[in-house]
This record gives sequence, C-alpha cells and structure tokens, in this order.
Amino acid sequence: MLPSNLLSVWKRKGEILPRYAKSSSSNDEAANFLIEAYKSHIGEKKKVLKALVAELEDKGYEYRFVRALSLLLDRKSTFVCQCKVDPVDLRRKIFQATEQFGLPTTSENRRKILEIVASKMALAVEDVEEDFYSDLDGELVLEKFSAPSASELLGEYNLGLTQTLLFDATELSFTASGNWQDLFHAIKKFGLIYEVYQDNGLWVKIDGPGSLFKLTRRYGVGIAKLLPIIVANLEWTVRAKVLWRFTNEICDFKLESQKHASLLKKPHLPIVTYDSSIEEDFASKFQALTTGWALKREPEPVTAGKHVIIPDFSLEKAGIKIYLEIVGFWTETYLLRKIEKLKQVEVKMLLLVNEALACEKLSALEKRPQLDLIYYRDKISLAPILRYLETKFDDVKFKEIKLLEGLSIRFTEPVVAFREFADRIGVSAEASRAFLAISPPSGYVALADILVSNEKLLQIGDRIRVAMSQSGKLPLKEAARIIEEEGVDDSANVLTMLGYRIRWRGINSEQAEVSKDPKNFGE
Amino acid sequence: MLRLWFDKGTLLLKGEAGTPYGKWDTRVGCYRIKAYHYRDVLEYLAESKLQVEDDVPMLPPLEHLKSNVELRDYQNEALNNWCKARNRGVLVLPTAAGKTFIALKAIQQLKVQTLIVVPTLDLIDQWKKRIKDYLNLEADAVGGGENTLRMVTVTTYDSAYIHAEQLGNKFLLIVFDEVHHLASTGYIQIAEMYTAPYRMGLTATYERSDQRHSLLSQLVGDPVYSVGIEEIAGHLSPYTYEKISVELTPQEQQIYKSQMSIFRSFLQQRKITLKSAADFQKFIMTTGRDPKAREALLARNRAIRVAVNSEAKLNVLAQQLETYKNEKILIFTLYNDLVYSISLRFLIPAITYQTSREERREILANFGNDKYPVVVTSQVLDEGVDVPDASVGLVLGGTGSNREYVQRLGRLLRKKEGKLARLIEIISQETMEVGTSRRRHQKIRGAA
Repeated sequence: MLPSNLLSVWKRKGEILPRYAKSSSSNDEAANFLIEAYKSHIGEKKKVLKALVAELEDKGYEYRFVRALSLLLDRKSTFVCQCKVDPVDLRRKIFQATEQFGLPTTSENRRKILEIVASKMALAVEDVEEDFYSDLDGELVLEKFSAPSASELLGEYNLGLTQTLLFDATELSFTASGNWQDLFHAIKKFGLIYEVYQDNGLWVKIDGPGSLFKLTRRYGVGIAKLLPIIVANLEWTVRAKVLWRFTNEICDFKLESQKHASLLKKPHLPIVTYDSSIEEDFASKFQALTTGWALKREPEPVTAGKHVIIPDFSLEKAGIKIYLEIVGFWTETYLLRKIEKLKQVEVKMLLLVNEALACEKLSALEKRPQLDLIYYRDKISLAPILRYLETKFDDVKFKEIKLLEGLSIRFTEPVVAFREFADRIGVSAEASRAFLAISPPSGYVALADILVSNEKLLQIGDRIRVAMSQSGKLPLKEAARIIEEEGVDDSANVLTMLGYRIRWRGINSEQAEVSKDPKNFGE
Repeated sequence: MLRLWFDKGTLLLKGEAGTPYGKWDTRVGCYRIKAYHYRDVLEYLAESKLQVEDDVPMLPPLEHLKSNVELRDYQNEALNNWCKARNRGVLVLPTAAGKTFIALKAIQQLKVQTLIVVPTLDLIDQWKKRIKDYLNLEADAVGGGENTLRMVTVTTYDSAYIHAEQLGNKFLLIVFDEVHHLASTGYIQIAEMYTAPYRMGLTATYERSDQRHSLLSQLVGDPVYSVGIEEIAGHLSPYTYEKISVELTPQEQQIYKSQMSIFRSFLQQRKITLKSAADFQKFIMTTGRDPKAREALLARNRAIRVAVNSEAKLNVLAQQLETYKNEKILIFTLYNDLVYSISLRFLIPAITYQTSREERREILANFGNDKYPVVVTSQVLDEGVDVPDASVGLVLGGTGSNREYVQRLGRLLRKKEGKLARLIEIISQETMEVGTSRRRHQKIRGAA
C-alpha cells in the first residue's frame, strides 16, 4: 500500500483506471536506476539517496511513480543511525550545558559550549556537530538493502497502487478460484460484511456495517487489505465502486486475472493451518486409512441463504460429495448463528457435534433432511463416521448394481478388469466388482479384480501343462511370465483356479514352485 | 422481547419491532442503527412501552474519584448550560480559559466512564496529568503505544477513529477536545460510531472555513456556551503583539524574485487567478497531471522557503533571544528544516513530528520546570500543551490561518501574576509573508 498522495489514477467514462507501470523500457529503466542507486549507496545517508531519487523526477519521470518506487525500496532497506554517541543523550548534555552557560547567540559562545560538552564526552567538536541530529530521518545511513528485480518492483508498485486506489472504495465484489477460508477469515478480521450471490459462479460482495446508511470510505482500508488474498489465487475477478476523491463521484473499478494478473505481484498464499487440533487430528487419522474417500480441507464455500459456510472438509467418492463440519466448543451466540446458517444449507452435510453442546436447538438440525449429526465426546472416533460413509456409499452402490443389471452387457475381450469396467460405465469399482463377481457373465470366471474368459484360462492351462510336462514342477517365476504373456496379471489366482498350488520355500518368490494340486487333479 | 447490541460501530436491533432511527439490514436480518442514536433508540422504545434487552454497553469498571476542581463563574455557567442541554453540546471558550477544568468537573458530577479525544499525543500526557492532579484518578490511554481502557481513558482522534469498532460502546461520556477537528470527513465518523449518550465539545475556534462545523450540532450538540476573550480578560494574561520586518539578504531576494516570477508567469499564461483557498486547492489538483503546473508550484514553494527561512530572520531571532533571555520563549516556524537549523545554531531543544515521544516528554517537562528556557517547534505544538509561564512567542513563519495564530497566542495566555505575554512575529519584507501575516491577524479580535 502506498500513501494516498502518491496515488496515480485517471478517469474515463465513469471508470477509474490506475496508471499501471507495465514492463517497458522506460519503466524498467526507472526501476533499475533506483535499484542500482540503493545498491550503490550502502553506507550513505538517506538524504543523499533521496536527492538522487529527486534527480529522476527532474528527468521527466512522473514524480508519484518515482517516489512510490523509492518508498517500496525503503521498505527493503535497513537504515541505521551511525553515531559515536547516543544523539538523544548528546542533545540532553548540550541543552543542559546551555542551562549553565546561557543560550549562545554568537558563534563564539556556541563553539565554547560544544567544546565543553565534547571534552566531557571525549569527543571532537566535529563529532558533536556530526552526531547532534544524526537520528533524523535524512541523516540515517543505509546499512542493508535486499534488491528486488525491476519486474518484481513494478509488480509490487502495481499491487500497491491498486490497494491505494481501493482506500476510496465503498464496496467490492469478487469471485476467486480458491482459498475461501482465508478470504472469509480476512473479511471478518477486517470488520467487513459480505453477501454472496451467484453469477456464473459464486460472487462475494463486501462492504461494512455502516455502508447501510451512506456511501463511506470507512471500509476502504479493509477492502484494500483483502486484495492480495484475492489475487493470490489462480483466477479471480474484482469489481469495485470507488469514490473519486476530488468530486466524490462514484466510479467503477474492474480487475481480472486474465488481463491484470501479470501486472500485479502475486502474494504468497498463506499455508493452511487448522483451526483446532480436533480437525487436524481427524484429518491425519482419516488419511491414514484407505477408504477410497478423497478428503479435502477447506473446500469451496457452500451457500446458506445470503451467507456461506466453508465446511471444514469435503469427502468425495464415486460422485458422492458429503461436506463435513466439526461443531466443537463454541460460544452460545456463535452456535445459534451457526445453527441458523446450517438450517439453510442445501447440500448433504455431516456434522460432528461435541456432545457437550447437545441442546434442543441442535436437535432441530436433526430434522433437516440434508444434515446428519454424529455426536462425539472428547475425541472424534472414526468408526461411526466410516459406518456412516459406508451406508451412504451402499445406497449408491445398490443403485449402481441395479443400473448394471438393467444394461445388457456383452463382453468380447478375454480379460476384463473390474476397475476399468467401472470407469468405462461410470460406476464405482465396488459396484462393478459386486456386479461382476457375484454373477459372472457366461463364459467368464471372476478372479479378485478381473474377469477372465474360459477360453483364455484353457489357453494358459495348456501352456503351463506343456511347460511342466517333464518335471511336473515349474518355478513360480516362469509360470507368472507365461500368464503375464497371456495378458493377465493375477498369476496367483489364475494358478489356483487352474488347480495348481504354489509351494513356497521361505519368503523369496524366486524359489517358489508350482505343481499340481492333488486335491484338484485327483492324483 | 427485543434485543439491542453493538456491532462494529453500529447498533443492531432484533425482534418484532423496528425504530424510526434504524434501517432494515437484509445482510443480517436485523435493524441496523447508527451508534450515536443509542440514547434516541432507548427513549423511543421506552415511550413505546417496548421491553428491550440492552446488551450495548461494555463499560470498564467505575473507580472512586476525589475531586478538587473549583470552577470560575464563566466555567460554571458553561457547565450548567451543557447540563441543561441534556449533557450535550459544544463549549466555545478562548484558549487558556480553562476548558479542561469544565470537562473534569463534568466527569466528577456524572461519575461515568469517559473517553477524552485529543488531537496530539502530547495532549494525552497533559490530560492524564490533569486527571491525576484534579480527580485523583489514574487515566489510561489508547494511542502512542498505549492500549488500555479505564474509567477515564484518553485517546487521539486518529486512534478513536481507527478503533471505533472496538471502543464505540465502552463509554457513556465522550469529550472532544479541540472539537473543530471532529468535523473533518474522516473524524466525523467517530461521533457516529460511538454510543456515548453524553457528549462535550471544547474549542476556541468553533467555525471552520469549510462550514462543516454545522455537522456537529446533531452529533455532539449545539454550541451551548460561548465567551469572547474580552469578557474573561481578567482571567488571562495581558498580551502584546509586535511585528518585526526584516529584509532578505540580496542573494535571497534574487532567488525569491526569480522563483516567484516563474510561478506568476505560469498563472498569467494559463489565466488562473488564485483568490480563495478553494482556488488554490483546485490549482494543487492540476499539478498532479500537469508537469508545468507542478514546476510552478515547486517554484512558489522554493520562494516561500527562502522568505520563511531567511538568514536575516535568524539574526533578528538572535537579538530577540538576547532581549528576552530571562523569559520563557516558544519559537514557532512553518518548516521543520528551519526548526533544526535554529536548534543547531542556538542549541535550543526542538520538537517536530520526528521527535520521539520520550524525548518530547523530557523536553516539555524541562521546559515546564525552567531547565530549558526556550523550545523551538514547527506546527506540532500549536495546539494544546500548556506551559503556564511561557511568556514570549516568536513566530518565524506560519500558514496564515487565523486559527493557527489564535492557537499559538493561546500557548502564552495562561494567567500568571505579573506576566505580560508577547507574541512577536518576524517576517520578511516585500514577500508574500506580509500578506500571510496580515491574513493571520485579521480576525484576531473576533475569534480570540
């Protein structure tokens, strides 16, 4: 953000437009000139550096642009007071000396007082002169400077310019591709109020409590602070109403990732942190299991009337999406507000509710068909959640099997993998397995994950019989190679199906052997 | 049952009834009301015989106070008028008339949680000291690194504005020192976003050139008491005003003339006349996009700088310091660099916006207890800070506003037996300073 007096914007047909510094030879030149100036002035006074900056203004560069760049570079610099003694203390001693000797109105008297102070502090008079106001801003010395590239600097300038423009915003609407949790956290933190609406996606309109009464710039700073969090996303669109500062006329302001992303410095997205250890605990436990459910932290917001809820998690499997919200320890007012919101939710949501909160108001939620509640005490246990997910999934699986049964499917290929089949039809792997394994189509045998045609099995059987005709035995490795050559990868099950058994010698499969199973061959 | 509570600088009312003061806010499904209507809403609901659960005030605990404030007649009259206006209103009294004491007496009488809003950090210190001395109460502050609340809390306009969402419902009485500041576009929202039903504005210079002071009637109350400098002259130091003209050095004259002619010829070329402050504002606006206009403005500023910072003036200043070496002197300038060159040349403690708060405190304390006889400052001490026995003001430059003049004079008028206050202006001849000085001085009789 820049000071308002460095704001460089113009107006066209009711639209307010920042004078963005695009990468051009002249802008790059200005940026590089300044970066080099800072680099080469380490150890020099700030006022010397600023005089150089002023030179750039004299060369015809727009003064606000130059000063803003210089200010951004100041923020990457460390200026220190280089003095032999603490200047505040030095001044105190000098002023005290004048108390004793009177105010010097002649240069001789002045010199005398400085000499007295200097000798007391074991300094030269010149040192005293030098250090007297060495802590004033212009006298500070550049100690460290971490140089950005010209394009970084321009990107920072453009972002800062946009934020400064938004100081005068009365409202802002945006849509973005992610980090909703951060955005809504920030909206709250900055004392703003939002409303959501749909317009080719979810839009959020922001202003403040007092905006109800009149157009006000009061919330401009909060709105400006929100901007970096919006533009940190991959895709975003921003619309704002801005008061033109000279006439108070309302202007439109538009910003979109497609046009402007390359101009603006892209801030880093903050790393997701969990609100509470309960959530973190749940997530890590759940992800340790292979459930087939994809767990997503902070999914997109779910509308609840004019508001949104960003559920803690979403769970997805086989086209089923269930949102999950942990209702931990909350204050009563917060809980009541949450309940009001939850009542308006129109998607499937599982609430994990701390038993201590159980109350009449909460049980009202149980009646909402799209909400399900599971109570927990102290810690969330996974078992009831997994059972719940299982039942949700069973419903789907059952429907899918019905669907498959309704189709007349004919197989021609010798091997059919359940998963591949599931993907082809668009059902879950579980449904496809249940359907194919329970009643395999005629001419096929169901193994663990695949269907194999009888014909194929016989073909494999023949080859193995030939291979073991001499010794009556075959290394497992050899048998597996044959089976794989035939395009089947489940060698163990194929061999069992064909009536062979695998004799293991230790755990090394290199040494395992295949032979006829006397039970099956009746020998 | 209705429920009323404070929400980020506004009030929310939920229930089966509305109020004429509120507006339905679809975003939250409640009536939203400006915070300053707090008292109006409660009265309206009471008249309508509507029960309300009032969750608005979140007040710091009350503390015991012991007052020894004795008011002068006119101060008493001012306070009575304010009470009769249902504890609202603006009191207009000349600087040094003891406005602070009226507010302290009001706190003593009402015994309620009070926020005092002041323009500068120095004034926070001064108010805290007065509260300690006269109410026997520790006050806390919000601003300048402090951030705690107590029954009596002092803050700056800036902090009161920034923290309105948090502080708005914590006090029942709010005192605006130098209330003319409140009327500015930003600060006016302080008055709107705080619930305090009792409000007192204090100022010596109620009217603003932009007429925005008219907004204060609704938000703080009407001016309920006004007294001129003549009417209470017996309570103030007698004062004299003197003007000393100096000639610029030949070199300075040359720079002044050449720079001013750049400025004037630009105005002529563009046929611009600058008659009023508004004209000038418009001109400043054009300098943002017109490099020629900016160059003209810079030339004018350079000329003024030469006139204001003239070497010749410093020589006169040296004479004045000799003449009044037994008095306490405040030196005022327009620019900070002049403050520092005076400070360096005469080894005088300086206070500008760059001076750290601790060093300011130390300098002011030493100025107060006679260790430092002279302090040089730009505009930061114009308001507030009282040093009762400062008797000489040397003005080396200013903006020409009448308010600034009155305020600087006010620093010297605090009554002390046998004191004669002198305000001495040192201006450069044949420069714009002459007109600036005249303007500054024009309305002194009426306003001071």
